[in-house]
Amino acid sequence: MTKKLVSVLALSVAMSAFLAACGSDSEKGGNSASPSSSASPSASPSASPSESPSASASESASPEKVENFTVSLRHIQIGEAQKFRKAILDDVVKKTEAEVPGLKFELDGVEDSVNRFTKLPAEMAAGNPPKIFDLFGGAGDAQKYAKAGRLLDLTPIIDELGLKDKFLNVLDTFSVDGKVYGLPIGGNTEGIFYNTDLFAKYGLNPPTTWDDLVKAADTLKQNNITPFAVGSKGAWVPNMLVNTLIGRIAGEGTNAGFITGASKWTSPDVVAAYQIVADWEKKGYFTKGELGKEYADMLNDFVAGKAGMMFDGSWRSSAFKDEAVGAAIAGKVAFVALPAVPNGKGDQTSVNANYANGYGFSSDLNDNELKAVKAFIKNLYSDEMQLRGLLEDGVLPSMKLSDESVGQVSDPLVKQVLDVLGKAGTTFPHFDSVVQSKVYTETETQLQKLIAGKAKPEDVAKAIQKVQDAENAAAAK
Amino acid sequence: MRSTLKNPYVYMLFVLPTIVLYFLFFIYPMLTSVFYGFTNWNGLDTKDFIGFDNFVAAFKDADFRNSILNNLYILLFSCCIQVPLIIVFSLLISSVKRFQGFYKTTVFMPSILSTSVIGILWGYIYDSDVGLLNNILKIFGIDPIYWLADTKWALFSILVTNAWQWMGFYIVLILAAILAIPKDIDEAAMIDGATGVQRAWYLTVPLIKPIINVVIMLSIAGALRVVDIVLVMTGGGPAGATDVMASYMVNKAIKYGDYGYGTALSIIIFIFALILTALYQILIVRRQERVEY
Amino acid sequence: MAASIRRSIPHVVMLAYVVVILVPFLFVLLSSFKENNTEIALHPFGLPKSWEFGNYKEAWIKAKINVYFFNSLYLALTSAVAGVLLSAMTAYALTRMRFNRASSWIYQFVLIGMLIPGNVLFIAQYLLVQKLGILDTHWSLFLPYTAGALPFSVLLICAFMRAIPFELEEAAVVDGMGVFRMFFRIILPLTVPALVTVFIVNFLGNWNEYLLSFFFISKDALRTLPSGMVQFRDAFQLNYALVCTGIVFSVLPVLVMYAFLQRKIIEGLTAGSIKG
Repeated sequence: MTKKLVSVLALSVAMSAFLAACGSDSEKGGNSASPSSSASPSASPSASPSESPSASASESASPEKVENFTVSLRHIQIGEAQKFRKAILDDVVKKTEAEVPGLKFELDGVEDSVNRFTKLPAEMAAGNPPKIFDLFGGAGDAQKYAKAGRLLDLTPIIDELGLKDKFLNVLDTFSVDGKVYGLPIGGNTEGIFYNTDLFAKYGLNPPTTWDDLVKAADTLKQNNITPFAVGSKGAWVPNMLVNTLIGRIAGEGTNAGFITGASKWTSPDVVAAYQIVADWEKKGYFTKGELGKEYADMLNDFVAGKAGMMFDGSWRSSAFKDEAVGAAIAGKVAFVALPAVPNGKGDQTSVNANYANGYGFSSDLNDNELKAVKAFIKNLYSDEMQLRGLLEDGVLPSMKLSDESVGQVSDPLVKQVLDVLGKAGTTFPHFDSVVQSKVYTETETQLQKLIAGKAKPEDVAKAIQKVQDAENAAAAK
Repeated sequence: MRSTLKNPYVYMLFVLPTIVLYFLFFIYPMLTSVFYGFTNWNGLDTKDFIGFDNFVAAFKDADFRNSILNNLYILLFSCCIQVPLIIVFSLLISSVKRFQGFYKTTVFMPSILSTSVIGILWGYIYDSDVGLLNNILKIFGIDPIYWLADTKWALFSILVTNAWQWMGFYIVLILAAILAIPKDIDEAAMIDGATGVQRAWYLTVPLIKPIINVVIMLSIAGALRVVDIVLVMTGGGPAGATDVMASYMVNKAIKYGDYGYGTALSIIIFIFALILTALYQILIVRRQERVEY
Repeated sequence: MAASIRRSIPHVVMLAYVVVILVPFLFVLLSSFKENNTEIALHPFGLPKSWEFGNYKEAWIKAKINVYFFNSLYLALTSAVAGVLLSAMTAYALTRMRFNRASSWIYQFVLIGMLIPGNVLFIAQYLLVQKLGILDTHWSLFLPYTAGALPFSVLLICAFMRAIPFELEEAAVVDGMGVFRMFFRIILPLTVPALVTVFIVNFLGNWNEYLLSFFFISKDALRTLPSGMVQFRDAFQLNYALVCTGIVFSVLPVLVMYAFLQRKIIEGLTAGSIKG
């Protein structure tokens, strides 16, 4: 009998230890989850930061004052092509760790679109995003999360650090009601990269006019060279061209007008932009099998000389340095804006300019983490790092740099990018930082259907406008 | 004396952990699924009851209907093409004495590997530039085929990979049944002058019908369960050509934040599974002798 | 003569099948030693010009295969053991203890779980682990893995335990043996074949699980092999040699295990599916 009792005891002790382990974990979670969920109905973002110290107390639970703590940092600088940006981030991380005692960053590199469309939305829903994370501006990203109370209000921090007037006029897509919730790391414009060797070989003019562009594409095609390299597995890649075509054909204000109803996807001009993509698809201007190609494949094909042009963001300029992935054609690449489209509306010198990618910060921070975040912002958003971004990585500064600093640019490709922007009459944003996320994802779904030849331009426009109407109506409520 | 086996506390101790875990991860999620299925929850702030809107929307959703069709293709492919092949292969293996163990071990091997790793491996074989398949095609002077990028080929390519992974598993199942058939029946038929094919068709196949039914049943369940391979190889693309119900559901919920709609879709998948299982039980299994487990 | 040809037909067909199974592995193995994509594209089946063992070192460090491997191993092990133990206890109570009515209710209740396809519960389980605050911890995999195995395991072990004659226990009770000793000393040892089957099924299922591990875990240090490998591919998609190295790393241990335990694994998995 006693033996029985002993074994009952032993087993129940074991069981309760097991259950306690689960229980304590779930309690901890319950605590940290509650402020965010209670904050969401009232949608008052200011409520959560003030509550956060108590909520995250469990994480710094160690009673004795051991100052060691980690801060999670989600970035998208993975793979070879992003190594310059990663080097800058690494330096900022090192510097910040040196400044804040006990701080250790826990870096988590995730592919851009996986982070933006899979991980981050899920973590935002769960209320457990990393403390620092790569964030896009706009209604579908920063503004949505800010309204749900997930993002740290940075207004006091940039005031305190004296950064407020340092930024160019680029914080709107990260702002809600005058408060800033994210900081763009830099900017870019999207245009045409072309292989000057190939163009010379076939006696082609630079694609600065529509006719030259079409002629170049046709000639390359005849010589079994893909006119435009593109990797459309992620539809954001071909969407870059769509966006600029819409700006060119329907006018530079079109993209901004979708959410107000001032412009419609179904308008003849927007449909005409999609028609051009459809026509070019039919003519075989794009990489064969593009729907199975990754973004990196596109650069690969271009570098290998399999394609003569690619429509890409100016950030790619850093790929053509001597020590980078595109070294094979370094010095043989040029960058121009999409030429004026015949019968296009609005300013035909306008170019797309995005300052939508940057960093956001969790609203759920304790004192230590807040310190780390401040130091991180101070070190990353500095003249030094902005200049390094421009010089090493070809990323346009999001902050004001002196002419003297900008004058240090020696990379011809970066100069061309700056030149394109300098000549632009106006700029317009990419619609991905304007429209609601459901609308944006619909543009991706529909564009892939268009590329696959499964939808006509009118169907595409109709489908997107339908989602746009629903989202606009929901926003008006 | 019997009291030892009638101690309610001990009983509870033995049963409760299982019940608690089971309730937490099966029953409770099922209940919440039903609850969320009737809301428009976006994971962040909105959560209103919208009645049957999600379910109505699902059947109006051309992309979801397309993914149902894809599930049906997978189901038809596995039942009408894979199962006959599986039977043939198992008969072949059972007919040989030498290398029987080797064949069995080899064909079974892919089914112990992770579907995601197999997806990566085959994605690489299908690669349009360096992939194995197009390299072989090149030898015969055939232009490269964009296996996973072409809407005409993508689903087929995934089906082949799926078959590659799972056929061996079913072959071994059926093989075991064949080898369990008493030898004397077969020998008697041989003495009567029946050929190998005749014996296989008239003797072996009827005897292993119960296990074939099990394989068909498992194939149906498997066809509804396909999701990893799609997410890893194509993510449902190109342009929805490989989307199945489950991958569409996962993307809707996680990628687009449509938790309400996503859970509604999961309920629809569940109902499909129930209907198919019930139909199969009523139409096929009932008419035959009960399968002896 | 004709007979020997006819007899070799099955071998020819089966060898073709075996080649189809093995060639992808061979291709990956060869590619993993090659220098770059061009070499792979030009000579898919040629031996590498120089054997690039550096790929393996690079993958081991860059891909953190060691981390993923360990995570997979201990998660698959612990949750399979927990699942076996819990199901055995439950099955014992349901089949051997004298609470027939309650037992039959519980049995039916647990069996409902067999009807639910796994991925149907995905979103709701996601929301659940999120609510429990264990998202992005190993608990978020351990608990669903353990729970997910229960219905099938209970069913199978119950079937096995029912076949054990009651006289054994009656004798034990007369000897004054308690319930626990009876469970551990008499019933469990007799049930070992079923337990091994259940363990293998659960272990391999957990080892290969992708959906939950990809979406429930976002910290790199916590990822398991299936999701870690996908992440690795996405990061190094253009370096085929390196990706192939990663595949070799993640496939090899399973194959080695299979080589030693193939009979047990095949028996376990097939038995598992039939009972299910």
